[in-house]
Amino acid sequence: MVEKVLIVKDIWKSYDDLQVIKGISFELAEKEVKVIFGPSGSGKSTLLRCINMLAPPDKGSIYLCGKDITDSEVNLNKIRTRIGMVFQHFNLFSHLKAIDNVSIALRRVKHMPKELAKEIALKTLEAVKMKEWADYYPAQLSGGQQQRVGIARALAMEPEVILFDEPTSALDPELIGEVLQVILDLAKANTTMIIITHEMGFARAVASEMIFLADGIIVEQGSPEHFSKSPTSERVKRFLKQLDVLYGSHEKLLDIKEEE
Amino acid sequence: MVFHEPLNSFEDLFEVLAHWDQFFSGYIITMWIYGLALFIGFLFGILLALTRQYGSKLFSRLSAGYIEIMRGTPLLTQILLFYYLPLSLNIPIGRWSFESTFILFDKEINIILLNHATLVGILTLALNSASYQAEYIRGSIISVSKEQLIAAQSLGMTRLSGIRHIVLPQALRFVIPAWSNEAAYLPKYTVVVFFIGVNDLFHEAYIIVSEEVISLLTYLLVGIIFLITITLISNLLNFIHKRTKIPGL
Repeated sequence: MVEKVLIVKDIWKSYDDLQVIKGISFELAEKEVKVIFGPSGSGKSTLLRCINMLAPPDKGSIYLCGKDITDSEVNLNKIRTRIGMVFQHFNLFSHLKAIDNVSIALRRVKHMPKELAKEIALKTLEAVKMKEWADYYPAQLSGGQQQRVGIARALAMEPEVILFDEPTSALDPELIGEVLQVILDLAKANTTMIIITHEMGFARAVASEMIFLADGIIVEQGSPEHFSKSPTSERVKRFLKQLDVLYGSHEKLLDIKEEE
Repeated sequence: MVFHEPLNSFEDLFEVLAHWDQFFSGYIITMWIYGLALFIGFLFGILLALTRQYGSKLFSRLSAGYIEIMRGTPLLTQILLFYYLPLSLNIPIGRWSFESTFILFDKEINIILLNHATLVGILTLALNSASYQAEYIRGSIISVSKEQLIAAQSLGMTRLSGIRHIVLPQALRFVIPAWSNEAAYLPKYTVVVFFIGVNDLFHEAYIIVSEEVISLLTYLLVGIIFLITITLISNLLNFIHKRTKIPGL
């Protein structure tokens, strides 16, 4: 049996009185790409932050390569070096050049010598086609470029899994493509990933399985074909239709207006 | 100490300027106290800001309480308290001093860099300044997005390492314009050491006035010296601010 990279087992999470995650379980195999989608406020981002223990779940367990990381004995800083994270708003370190954004964790966490860290950082930047921009600061880069540095920053640590929290939803439409292309390349290179995204075309191309999340629970999960051809629950159908209207043809928007 | 006599002539000016050695040694003392107090206050201020912002509830409150007390009581009260406290507790104070004597243009200049009074002055000013500096620094720590620390932690950095390598380098850049307030205020606050007998610039001016009875001109000169000093400090900080600015921001 192939050991799962990640096993999420019945996790619950609340913020004060608000129950955000209400018992979620799933498994992620090596080289698998899981896409999570669903309406805002459904708990998608919280789920990712539970997985790398930035927001530890109140209940349930998470196993990373067979080891329960919700155990209080576990050194979370060590665990987090093995789980990469790419943020919606990039969260690059604004006082550091692109290359230093990528190399800082290699130096401060993996304690690599400066030259080696820079070398690896430069190679990783090349992988996301950002090598020429290595000496620029985040504020000098476009959103798409910043996000590619963000991906390189996570990638350089060679994590077992990378979590993407809506990596393109803060981007201008014409910048989305370059970021999605980088993620597609990663998928081709068999990187294990969990991606929150509403780019359905991209999701279909990259996902081995898709999970629809609403109100803190998994409403439906299945292959990309399943969601494109025969989603079962009404909630999913309604959501997909809305996406289709927004990103689809202009005429459908007019139809909706007339219906109202 | 009253500005009663009319401004006479250049003769007065020369008479006052003949005491340049006193101005000089007083100025050195003032700047020495200022520099040390600002520096110690800066380090302690960072510590206070960090404990207030990131510390446990108890430490955060202790830090907030300290800041409120130091900002809420007169500096003169603090300095007199610290100066007389050992006496009233019957703790003996040795008459120690660390001084430097040298000859400059045929005048012997003696500077007491450290003795009981100077030490009390430096420490009180540092402890007082730290509370103001802490609030400036805390303000700029808050202005650094919380997500920056989360991103650092997501890479496996400890919270402390994230604060040290990610949050503080940004916060200390952002704080310079606000912090320059404190850097410009503190030289003027150092005059309180006059009350515990430190021979600072103001004290020297007082001695000159009592000898020459030319108060207006003497105190005017002191004012001008402060003005020039603080202008230089502001310009230096502006320069540092521009040099350390994050490109593109």
